[in-house]
Amino acid sequence: MQNRVKIARIQAGLTQQQLADKIGVTRQTISLIEKASYNPTLKLCLDICHALHKTLDEVFWVEKENNEYEENYR
Amino acid sequence: MKKITDERLAVQNLKNIRIAYIIQTLGIIAILAYDAITKGIDGMRENPLWLLLIVTAVVSAYLSMGVSVDYENDNINPKKSLGISLAVLVLISAVVGYFVTRADGSAVNGVIMGGILLVCGLIPVVYIYKLRTNRLDEDNEK
Repeated sequence: MQNRVKIARIQAGLTQQQLADKIGVTRQTISLIEKASYNPTLKLCLDICHALHKTLDEVFWVEKENNEYEENYR
Repeated sequence: MKKITDERLAVQNLKNIRIAYIIQTLGIIAILAYDAITKGIDGMRENPLWLLLIVTAVVSAYLSMGVSVDYENDNINPKKSLGISLAVLVLISAVVGYFVTRADGSAVNGVIMGGILLVCGLIPVVYIYKLRTNRLDEDNEK
C-alpha cells in the first residue's frame, strides 16, 4: 500500500529508528511500511499518525485508481 | 528475552511456529509409518505418539469448526440443524447397536457400542450448535 509515512516522518524530523522507538516496533517494520511492502494494521497506522501528529487521511489516504473504479461501477 | 511488541514480527513468529508444527507432524507420521511397517498396526498404536497425533487432530478439527461456522450461510437455523444432526446421530447409533447385537448375540454389547457412538457424536453436534447460536447472538447485536 502506497503511503506518505516517509514524507511525514522527514517533516517531523525523525529517523526511522526514532519513529520505531516511539511506537514500539522495529526499524525494519517502519522501513517495510515506507517501501509499501508491509501492510500495517489500523492500530499501527493510528500509532504512526499520533507519533507524527498527522491524521490518517494525510498519511495513508490513497484515491481509488481510475481503472479499479471503472471495473467496480461499470 | 524481550516481549515482542512489533505486530509484524508477532505474525512472523506465528508463521514460523506453523512451519515447525508442519515439520513436527510430518516427523510423527514418519515415525508411526515406520512403526506400522516394522511392528504392524497394533505395534504402531502402542506408541504414545499415536495418541498425540489423534489428540492434535481432534483439537485442530474442533478449532477449525469455529472458522467454518463463520463461512456458513446466514440463514441456517441452529435449532433445525441441531434437530437433523441429532436425528441422524440417533439413527446411526441405533442401527450400529442393532447390528452389533445381531452379530454378537448379546444385547449388552450392542447397547454399549450404540451408547458410545451416541455420546461421541453428541459432543461435536452440541459444540457446533453452541457456535452457531453464539454467532447469531453476535449478529443480533448489530
